[in-house]
Amino acid sequence: MSENPETTDGATTTSAAEVVVEAEAPPEEVTAELAEDMHIATGTREPILVSSGVTMQFGGLRALNDVNLSLHEGEIIGLIGPNGAGKTTFFNCLTGLYTPTSGQVVLRGKPMPQDPARVTEAGVARTFQNIRLFPSMTATENVLVGRHVRMKQGPISSLLHGPRFRRSEAEAAERAEKLLAFVGLTRFSEELARNLPYGDQRRLEIARALATDPSVLLLDEPTAGMNAQETEATRQLIFAIRDLGVSVVVIEHDTKFIFTLCDRVLVLVQGELLVEGSPDEVRGDPRVVEAYLGAPPEEVSAQLQTGGAVDGAGTAEGKSE
Amino acid sequence: MTATATPETPATPAPAPRHTGRFARLLDAAAPRSTVLMIVGGVLTLVGGYLPWATFVLNEGPYPEKATLNFFVDPFGVTGFRLHLVILGLAAIVVAALRRIPARHRIVRGLGIGATVVALINGLWITVEGGGLGAITASEGSIAFGSIAALLGGLVTVLGASAGGLERKPVWTWKLPWWAEWILLVVLFVIVLLLVAAVLTSGGQGGVVNPYAGVVFLSLLAALGGAFAALNASGLLTWVSVVSERHRTFSVIVLLIVALLLPLTSAGTEYWMTVASNIGVYAATAIGLNIVVGLAGLLDLGYVAFLGIGAFVAANLSGAAASHIGIHLPFVLVMIISSVVAGMFGAIVGSPTLRVRGDYLAIVTLAFGEIFVRSAQNNIGGLTGGANAIPNIPAMGVGDFKFSDSIVIGSLRLPSGVLYYFLIVLLVAAVMLVFAHLKYSRLGRAWIAIREDEDAASAMGIRTGPIKILAFLIGAMLAGLAGAFFAHKTAVVAYDSFRFLESVTLLAAVILGGMGTIPGAVLGASILFVLPEKLREFSDYRLLLFGLALVLIMRFRPQGIVPDRHRKAELTDPDVEDVAKEGPGPLPTRVEP
Ligand SMILES: Nc1ncnc2c1ncn2[C@@H]1O[C@H](COP(=O)(O)OP(=O)(O)O)[C@@H](O)[C@H]1O
Ligand SMILES: [Mg+2]
Repeated sequence: MSENPETTDGATTTSAAEVVVEAEAPPEEVTAELAEDMHIATGTREPILVSSGVTMQFGGLRALNDVNLSLHEGEIIGLIGPNGAGKTTFFNCLTGLYTPTSGQVVLRGKPMPQDPARVTEAGVARTFQNIRLFPSMTATENVLVGRHVRMKQGPISSLLHGPRFRRSEAEAAERAEKLLAFVGLTRFSEELARNLPYGDQRRLEIARALATDPSVLLLDEPTAGMNAQETEATRQLIFAIRDLGVSVVVIEHDTKFIFTLCDRVLVLVQGELLVEGSPDEVRGDPRVVEAYLGAPPEEVSAQLQTGGAVDGAGTAEGKSE
Repeated sequence: MTATATPETPATPAPAPRHTGRFARLLDAAAPRSTVLMIVGGVLTLVGGYLPWATFVLNEGPYPEKATLNFFVDPFGVTGFRLHLVILGLAAIVVAALRRIPARHRIVRGLGIGATVVALINGLWITVEGGGLGAITASEGSIAFGSIAALLGGLVTVLGASAGGLERKPVWTWKLPWWAEWILLVVLFVIVLLLVAAVLTSGGQGGVVNPYAGVVFLSLLAALGGAFAALNASGLLTWVSVVSERHRTFSVIVLLIVALLLPLTSAGTEYWMTVASNIGVYAATAIGLNIVVGLAGLLDLGYVAFLGIGAFVAANLSGAAASHIGIHLPFVLVMIISSVVAGMFGAIVGSPTLRVRGDYLAIVTLAFGEIFVRSAQNNIGGLTGGANAIPNIPAMGVGDFKFSDSIVIGSLRLPSGVLYYFLIVLLVAAVMLVFAHLKYSRLGRAWIAIREDEDAASAMGIRTGPIKILAFLIGAMLAGLAGAFFAHKTAVVAYDSFRFLESVTLLAAVILGGMGTIPGAVLGASILFVLPEKLREFSDYRLLLFGLALVLIMRFRPQGIVPDRHRKAELTDPDVEDVAKEGPGPLPTRVEP
């Protein structure tokens, strides 16, 4: 297949510390309309997603060990850690792609189903570290696939194309249009996904995930391979997603990105949750500095303070999802 | 740089592209004279068309009318393949000479390829039939260089066109008043009808009495292919498809009517009606398979079994003497039952295959196809007649009226079998409707999503298991429906109509025509099931030729004859056009706003 033009510039461009980049946030009226359409927020104080003691064993490798997380409504949580720390594995455990060896995941008081399709139905959507769009479908169609679980259209209705069918298609199309406007891809709506620029493919994946009306959105390295401007735009986008009432967990290597975005940050190292706290707490924690890289503390600490990519972020890991 | 070529395209400042690839040197050398080469090639083709092609009557009688000695009676009255060559040559000259025509190199290349293939097919045939090169070279003082001149002409044309640099396909945005577009569409569809009739009947009925059927057919196909490629390169075909898309309902209705008018053309004989009905059966089946393979991306190598199941169910329920069941239900009911039974088997076959993907799935379906054929061969349950088949299945009918009757309306006498033809046209239309409706629905998108990336699909909430079974079920139901028709039409159902080869041919029809598209499946089925009819003469080599043709097509047009999506992708607005590249390629870099 085609070679991925993904370069390592995600790491280099963002490390220039104080570059001020401007990027447009999603238009406010679109955000407002979408929030109304999706109406996700329930105003509950209880955590909506709780994982307790999640452990994942691959043969002799313990990829996750007793990971606890609780996500509250309207919160943005950052998950950082070196390559191979188990971040993606954790997402896979949350979304039913993997069944944890032990521990449990609870969504709004109910145990999380053990099947990716049902997890999405229950309101948890995700994106993938190595983009997994439907390449031969247009951007709009990709988002329409995301509407699958929420569309009221059975096989018979699909076959007959009656008034009910037309209504559900029209609704879905309208939502897709709004979502594409929300992530800023309106001009590419009829373009095949595989022809989109790389950064826009990541945005399309987010739009597709949002189409499932999730209450929790899991983003696996949403800015990998993006330049500074695109990264900033993504940050704005995630804020806007939070404003929709969606709670977000973000995996990212770019610490500046995470520290300026998240309400709470979790550091995962070799499958263990090392530190959890506000960005400031995590930034100053010597354990993070040490365990995160095993490099001389001062250097890393400096890097963490200025907010750079710490471990060669953006290099493709090529891990199986 | 071959900057010398620029005078040809004064409007564009870009210099002629330097060629890459195996023929780069040759093409670079030819580039400055590309127009001249194209014209010379056209002239050679033209001359080749007028020259005699053989100096004696071939073993089996005069080959297509005036290719041989008849030439001396009427030297310039060319017909058949020579006429095609003359037309292709003339068209190439005219297009090459008119520099204002956009994409003229690409157009001329299509014409040149057509001429080359026509010359090659007929030249080879005459050589083989005439017992050696004597048939095409000088012999006994008379000149018969026709095929050599035409072949050379075709090749030179292609060389000139390729050297000149192939342009992008132009996009036309003309809009006519609605009535003008309607008239245009009607005229075009009628032309298509006449062409279809001409292709179908070209060379006549194949067989021992008519050994030339296959060549005449192939030659016509090649000529039409060249013309089609040229029209496509000119962007006109795309424009027509946009126009017909604009008047979608109208086009569909006209197309249906036009299809029903086939019996009024030269194809209106019992024989051709039978051939057309058989094509219809396979077209309907191919569209069903297209749901499974083209949309859902599930490789099914035993699909023809569902056609067989439908046929055997129908055979047993229609009062055939050889059937042990011995009931005779009305044919509408029979068709529904056949379809449902086939669908059930589809779901049954589908369920164990859910756990396997890709190659493994293909093996499971292959095994199922084999199980079906072996069971039918051994007359399991006395339902299939084994080696004796189930013969004498009564024709469909209502009361005394039989579908196999011929009908007479005033002075118009339609051949027998015409009613079956009408029925299969309606059936195929219905199957197309099912396909089109499903494709553009929640279910269809779910299938395509599974095809594209199964894990991502399930992450989007698609329950892949039931959705895949549904693809098997609906595909099998359509095949079962076609099978029931088939049983009545042919009146005999035997296990050996449903062997592995048929499954492969169906699959080839889908892939050849273009995965996931309706015209693709129909075109593929037509070509692949007409060819054997026409190529009876070559029955020993049939599979060889067939395989060769498939390899060639897959080499030069892997997306199929009527590709999915690309058309749509090409038609998006010009800004996006820069970003959109045809076919999978490296992703373009970001376009800064
Ligand atoms: N399906 C699997 N089978 C075996 N090992 C796996 C599997 N998935 C992940 N791993 C291993 O688990 C560890 C964590 O991987 P991953 O979650 O992808 O890390 P991260 O996303 O933090 O970079 C790695 O050592 C990886 O090799
Ligand atoms: Mg990862």
